[in-house]
Amino acid sequence: MSEFAIEARQLIKKFPARAGTGDKATETSPKEKRRLFPFRKRAPKPMFTAVAGVDLQIRRGEIFGLLGPNGAGKSTTIRMLCTLLEPTSGSATVNDFDIVKQANDVRRSLGTVLAGERSIYWKLTGRENLEYFAALYHIPPAVAKKRVDELIERMELKDRANELVEKYSTGMRQRVAISKALLARPPILLLDEPTLGLDPQAARNLRELIAQLKQEGHTILLTTHYMEEADLLSDRIGIIDTGKVIALDTPEGLKRRIDQKEIIRLELSGWHDDLAEKLRNISGIENLTTHQQGEADLWEVNMQAQNSRTAIPRIVENISGNGTRLVNMNIVKPSLEDVFIHLTGKALRD
Amino acid sequence: MRSEMSVQSLAAPGFFSDLQAFWAVVRREWTIFVRYPSWIIALFIWPVIFPMGYILTARALSGVNGTGLATFKQTTGLNEYVGYIAVGTMVWMWQNIVLWSVGGSLRNEQMRGTLESNWLSPTWRFSYLLGSSVPQFISMLMLMAIATLEYIFLFNVKFEGSLWLSLLVVLVAIPSVYGLGFAFASLVITMKESNAFVFLVRGIVMVFCGITYPIAMLPDWMQSVSKWLPQTYIIHGMRTAALTNEGISGIAFDLQMLMVFGIIWLIIGYLLFNRMERRARKTGAIGQY
Repeated sequence: MSEFAIEARQLIKKFPARAGTGDKATETSPKEKRRLFPFRKRAPKPMFTAVAGVDLQIRRGEIFGLLGPNGAGKSTTIRMLCTLLEPTSGSATVNDFDIVKQANDVRRSLGTVLAGERSIYWKLTGRENLEYFAALYHIPPAVAKKRVDELIERMELKDRANELVEKYSTGMRQRVAISKALLARPPILLLDEPTLGLDPQAARNLRELIAQLKQEGHTILLTTHYMEEADLLSDRIGIIDTGKVIALDTPEGLKRRIDQKEIIRLELSGWHDDLAEKLRNISGIENLTTHQQGEADLWEVNMQAQNSRTAIPRIVENISGNGTRLVNMNIVKPSLEDVFIHLTGKALRD
Repeated sequence: MRSEMSVQSLAAPGFFSDLQAFWAVVRREWTIFVRYPSWIIALFIWPVIFPMGYILTARALSGVNGTGLATFKQTTGLNEYVGYIAVGTMVWMWQNIVLWSVGGSLRNEQMRGTLESNWLSPTWRFSYLLGSSVPQFISMLMLMAIATLEYIFLFNVKFEGSLWLSLLVVLVAIPSVYGLGFAFASLVITMKESNAFVFLVRGIVMVFCGITYPIAMLPDWMQSVSKWLPQTYIIHGMRTAALTNEGISGIAFDLQMLMVFGIIWLIIGYLLFNRMERRARKTGAIGQY
């Protein structure tokens, strides 16, 4: 048995592109098409590359966080690993099974949570959902009954297990979806945004559960938009952008990459775009991001500085006198979010 | 939340596991079907309401004292025009429901968001289509039984033929009707839209298969098209079995044709399903709404 639960080698996935969305290399003008393909009635269709050569090695028993902005390729990567999509080229193994040639063995090795609460039947009860999926995962009936009871108990669904899922809260539906993934006790779990839409308490409970599952020996591949979640849970993190893994390390290792930089965090009112341009032009300032806090005219502005002592006077000088008011200023330790901005040039929520 | 100890997969693959999965799909589909109260309308009201327009039109055209019925008897060999229309419309309803429910089953799952979670399991994929057909067929048998009773007691229709031969025609027609449904389900998942296809197919059945009139009324070229549609033989076979005393010899040709069409449509349905499944893995169509 390999030491890696999941191994991907140069995984590439291309889709036929819609107009204007194809890769530059495959989008050609009609004139260019005639020149390149004079003997073909139709030139090859333009393609859009969603995953552009992903290499991953996820060790058995670890929690691996896959982070990336929308459209970075993380969902496509997960969908290839769980056999919903076939790669255009490259290869991958899950639990030592090839994702194309041994797809059914891969499915038996995986518990997957995709699309969360929409992945279960709302017109069935929680118990009926679990009994149904237990049969699909080929669990013998006698074992299935015991296993469903165990999971209902563990996920604290006992009191409502015989009610229709349509009457559940989002958090309860998510717990049914996770129970479904755990039914066959698979060695590897793929969790795609498992805490999305949950209230803080439900999200905290779920994070505790994920940590427990790792203790029990499950390998977990987790994608999330929440940096703190990835930081808290993951043994290692891969950052994916434009279809490629651009950094892969432990959370601490990633943060060390920008240790020599300082993060200046401002809270301002009366923000305007000209100011962003002025602040970006200050020498030694990079990766400036802004975020409006709620409905009020209060903005959080983060930037990385080579040296805050020389940068701060210039920042204050630029802010004053333009109707902008500085409410608060801090110099903070780099977080995973700052690493992400440093590497991709954009915030995860972009 | 308590913890447990080891990671040892509980799955036990094999033929019986696939059978168990198929049965689970049947149970799931039936449970969801009966939880929507509209099934009562589908079973009790629609079979009477739908043919009513045709029956009343026929009554009007037959004249005040039914003088026009002699022409009808001359063409069909039957007096029972209400039963004649009832059988034709029932077969049309069967095919129509199969196109909507079996044909739309994968698309409905896709829009609900549950298709991917089914596809993630190691179950034989064709089970989902086969499994969704069983409750549909059971509800259709119930619809036929209820409709027959309603015609006997409300319209005084005399079904002079054999119940068992009628059932035999239904059974032999299953592969043709559901094979078309499977092919349809595969097309719909690729095209993402079923309405236009359903209207087209049921329109063809309505015009070419003689649901309310004898095929002999059609121009020659239309009769040639009718011969290539299994629904023509289902309707003829059902009418002969339910309304006449001709016995098995009267439906033997229909049964033979339905067996041939059944094999062809099941193969087409299965091949299209496999093709769709492979294509979906390449394009990601399973997860797209």
